[in-house]
Amino acid sequence: MTLLEISELTLDLPNGSRLLDGISLRIEEGETVGLVGESGSGKSLTARAVIGLLPDQARTTGSVRLGQTEVLGASVAELLELRRHTASMIFQDPRAGINPMRTIGDHLTEALRLCEGKSAAEANARAKELLAAVRLPRPEDHMHQHPHELSGGMLQRVMIAGALTSSPQLLICDEPTTALDVTTQAEIVAVLSEQRASRGMGMLFITHDLNLAASLCDRVYVMSGGKVEEHGTARAVFGNPQTPYTRRLIEATPSISLSAAETAALAQQSGTLTAAGQGETEPMLAVEGLSKSYRRRGKATVDAVKAVSVSIPRGGALGVVGESGSGKSTLARMIVGLESADAGGIRVDGRDRTTVPRTRAERLAHARSVQMVFQDPYLSLDPRIAAGRSIEDALRLHGTLDSRAARSRVLELLDQVGLAEQYADARPRTLSGGQRQRVAIARALAIEPDVLVMDEATSALDVSVQAQVLDLVADIRKARGLTVLFISHDLAVVRRVCDETVVMKAGEIVERGQSVQLLAAPQHPYTRLLLDSIPRPAWESDPRESAAANA
Amino acid sequence: MSAPTPTMAVRMMRAPRLKRAASWYTVSLGVLVVMTLAAVFAPFIAPYDPNFVNLSAVYQGPSPAHWLGTDSLGRDTLSRMIFGARTALLGPLLVVVFSTILGILLGLLAGWRGGWIDSVLGRLFDVIFAFPSLLIAIMAVALFGKGLVAPVIAMSIAYAPFVARLTRQLIVSERSRPYVAAYRVQGFSGPWIALRRVLPNVTPIVGAQSTLNFGYVLAELAGLSFLGLGVQAPTADWGAMINEAQAGLTGGYFLPAIVPAVAVVIVVVAVNIIGEELSDRIGGGVPA
Amino acid sequence: MLARRIGGKLGSLVLTLFLVSLLVFFSRFLVPGDPVSFLLRGRKPSPEAIAAVTEQYGLNLPVWQQYINWLTGILQGDFGRSLQFRQDVSVVVGERLPVTLMLVVMAGLIIGVLGLTSGIIASLNRGRPLDRAILIGLTMLGAIPSFVGAIVLIAIFAVQLGWFPTFGSGEGFADTIYHLTLPSIALALVFVVLVGKVTRSSMVEQLGREHVEVATSRGLRRAVVIRRHVFRNAIGPILTVSGLLVAGLLVASSIVEAAFGVAGIGSLLVQSVDRLDFPVVQAIVLLVVTAFVVVNGIIDVLEPWIDPRSAAGGSAR
Repeated sequence: MTLLEISELTLDLPNGSRLLDGISLRIEEGETVGLVGESGSGKSLTARAVIGLLPDQARTTGSVRLGQTEVLGASVAELLELRRHTASMIFQDPRAGINPMRTIGDHLTEALRLCEGKSAAEANARAKELLAAVRLPRPEDHMHQHPHELSGGMLQRVMIAGALTSSPQLLICDEPTTALDVTTQAEIVAVLSEQRASRGMGMLFITHDLNLAASLCDRVYVMSGGKVEEHGTARAVFGNPQTPYTRRLIEATPSISLSAAETAALAQQSGTLTAAGQGETEPMLAVEGLSKSYRRRGKATVDAVKAVSVSIPRGGALGVVGESGSGKSTLARMIVGLESADAGGIRVDGRDRTTVPRTRAERLAHARSVQMVFQDPYLSLDPRIAAGRSIEDALRLHGTLDSRAARSRVLELLDQVGLAEQYADARPRTLSGGQRQRVAIARALAIEPDVLVMDEATSALDVSVQAQVLDLVADIRKARGLTVLFISHDLAVVRRVCDETVVMKAGEIVERGQSVQLLAAPQHPYTRLLLDSIPRPAWESDPRESAAANA
Repeated sequence: MSAPTPTMAVRMMRAPRLKRAASWYTVSLGVLVVMTLAAVFAPFIAPYDPNFVNLSAVYQGPSPAHWLGTDSLGRDTLSRMIFGARTALLGPLLVVVFSTILGILLGLLAGWRGGWIDSVLGRLFDVIFAFPSLLIAIMAVALFGKGLVAPVIAMSIAYAPFVARLTRQLIVSERSRPYVAAYRVQGFSGPWIALRRVLPNVTPIVGAQSTLNFGYVLAELAGLSFLGLGVQAPTADWGAMINEAQAGLTGGYFLPAIVPAVAVVIVVVAVNIIGEELSDRIGGGVPA
Repeated sequence: MLARRIGGKLGSLVLTLFLVSLLVFFSRFLVPGDPVSFLLRGRKPSPEAIAAVTEQYGLNLPVWQQYINWLTGILQGDFGRSLQFRQDVSVVVGERLPVTLMLVVMAGLIIGVLGLTSGIIASLNRGRPLDRAILIGLTMLGAIPSFVGAIVLIAIFAVQLGWFPTFGSGEGFADTIYHLTLPSIALALVFVVLVGKVTRSSMVEQLGREHVEVATSRGLRRAVVIRRHVFRNAIGPILTVSGLLVAGLLVASSIVEAAFGVAGIGSLLVQSVDRLDFPVVQAIVLLVVTAFVVVNGIIDVLEPWIDPRSAAGGSAR
């Protein structure tokens, strides 16, 4: 039986912009359907349309049938009935989605008590059952806790439990794991699949992550610009994409699977070299036994970075991979001189850069040694300063160019990062995320640093934009022989940029080696866990197995 | 954190925006300009000497000779209103300017330096907050005698912590933004970043809020004159005019009190509309 | 944990009050010249008067001794003697305090009811004509200072219609309420606007939160969502602003009391400034400021119940 049938759904705003354009989508009972697309594709709006959560002024046409009910134009009573018994939704950010001023118990029981009329005791018992079902360790205690006392992953389990209180036939998941670390994501996905299977629910799973959709869904719909680009079984869509957009998306998606050439190369050199690149010459960046701990009032001291040593040869690229709290960003901030190290040393091109610069000469020297591209392109550019101006500021601080020479150098740099002349006068807010990040790169390059640190520089970007920025970084490395320290939570991204990778956990480096080797034959259990957590299409092989098969 | 999702984008479009607010804004600006010009050129505009007493023409209604009638001493209400605009506008202007400058400096110091300076200033602001501005003004009169000078200085001090606290809060949130770290990494000095980059990002918001203070200060200073503690007779001042006209109220002579009252209300409304429109245009925070 | 929190808040409150007392006491020293002539401004400096003032203030003692004597006196309820009434300040102020409290309570009720209602109604209709109308209404109302409100109310309801008295505070409970109706409305005007606006913006902010969307998605009725998730979460800022208004109300009452001839501490303050009766001014200032500090201290202590995150020291988001 068909659970959800959306046909020809369009959504317009009063200002005339069309956010959804002829969406048609179907979910059968017990089926898992993925809705994949980049930001602005309309996937979240489509999901909200299913339970009537569209903005008041939106005008819709077409039809959304959930069970036996037409959602568009449904009465208030019908909508309440649908939300109470037919469909539930899990939202992206559990910290924003659960009322911070009420207890977990209240969140779980309120629908039961206020919609189903269950007694408090009944509701409490059911809530505890569900908390146990989503594998939270201490259901009894959690009932009395407030959201701020739980981690993001735990809260998302609470959110799932909350969505299950109504025993829905359809579970809508809107990017439920995007805000979480990859190992947490794997646990949440496992809980979701388990519950879906045991309850025979249908599921609409919205994500930007193709691999996640492929690993989870029976069928997928690819959306772009408010339209469905294509749909079909997951394997058909991802294995044999029909439209150019889907093809581009798949190409842009970083993957941890190894190409045949890579496995072959690996097989040849198997066991021969582990410390390649460590030549006689001094490395460009040498970090020796670096430590940093934070003292927090009333709480235990946190050792953010514990005796970390890394080195990058001239022109090399080293990846640092870790989850949140692994200390990778603290490491970056110490290297660029934003924070002081408790112990250890940092040398760039043989010069000591351990201390936070104080004098003007020290600041300029440190800046010429290391530059950094920050994570959030929306916050790392000064909102008031035009793109060209921010680059010019950097140029003039470090050189003696007159304004005309500086201007032409600015245009040159913008050109190098693929931005046309007209962007020189653009304020950051008029630029897209990718364009902003290009400006940030150009600004860093203006100083001609020895080392470029990129701290999660592409993680806020859509995959297609991310791919372009990564290509740009590769081009610049080739052209300038730039040394890069690339920090990311995403192994698949890191291996695309870096020859070598270190894995960090709780402030320590647990494993280091060639990126390909790390993927093919991880030694440390944590690296293995990390790799296992990365979603992989059911039909795709494990890189370790293929490497082993080739060997 | 990340780019707004489509749903957030839609939600932002739902944000209430007063239609025709812009035209109200223009009208308000016009009102303020006219009032300011009237105040500056009062001697040339006012039909009579504001202090010219004519006991044979007390409590007259509107007439071609006296457009807005006369008061209990036969003085021309229109002329007194025009001259009254001088103290009514100058006092709040000085308070807003002084308190904004002082507040921004202290807020910048507290927010950028942090540490003990921040704690000490925060405690100081807490103490001053406990004294409502009108109370400080009244105390200033009690200490230094009647008039506007002491209250204006006192209220500048009373309002400075409001400005300072807002500035501090904005500076602190700006300071933690990556663009500031980016400037540091590029090698710019702390003072340069604070004064040349962060402060200009923050001042428009603070300025818009200070504009809103203008209305409150005007009402409070006029209130002080109404209490007989501010501008002294016979100088024309809106608050003092209402004070003098109060006696006539029970006799049914409303006009001498209503005219300055309406003037106060119109200016405060105009200033508030301007302030709110400015805040709206700038937004609640620094645009990302 | 809780006891430590309250202890900490109490300490901070006492520290603030101590600093306030320093300010109030030493403000007198901002005036250049000799303290005796300052305190006896406008009065005949007869030898007896000089002797009395010197004796009362201990002006021949060191300054810090004067302060300690003054402070210990106040802690025992001794605010000195009024120069104009030749009575103890505590008696003079105590006689007039009840009327002002009554006025402030009545105004507070008006502010609470009208402010909350207008703010809530506006927020639930945000962007619609009703919201716009309320916002414009509030902006207009907010521009009416209490003395303007007072004369307009007197002109219309007391003089023209004759419904209410123009003067005095009445005798007995019902009569007092009757006499204080117009004054409390005049006093409340500006504050209604402040509470209305903060209620609206706080509600609107919460209405846009994702947890409200989540609650809606679970099939809760709109009224339940508004009550349990929007209003409940919006209370914090409303309470904070209300706390800040306390001192403003007490001070603004001086204007309203003067306009309506109500014999409360507000009009007493003005009268004492006018008659250069500095001890009374000091006492009233101290009273108002202490009321402000204490009320806000209480709100501060209540905060963990309003926002559980603040107990953990986490920042609100």
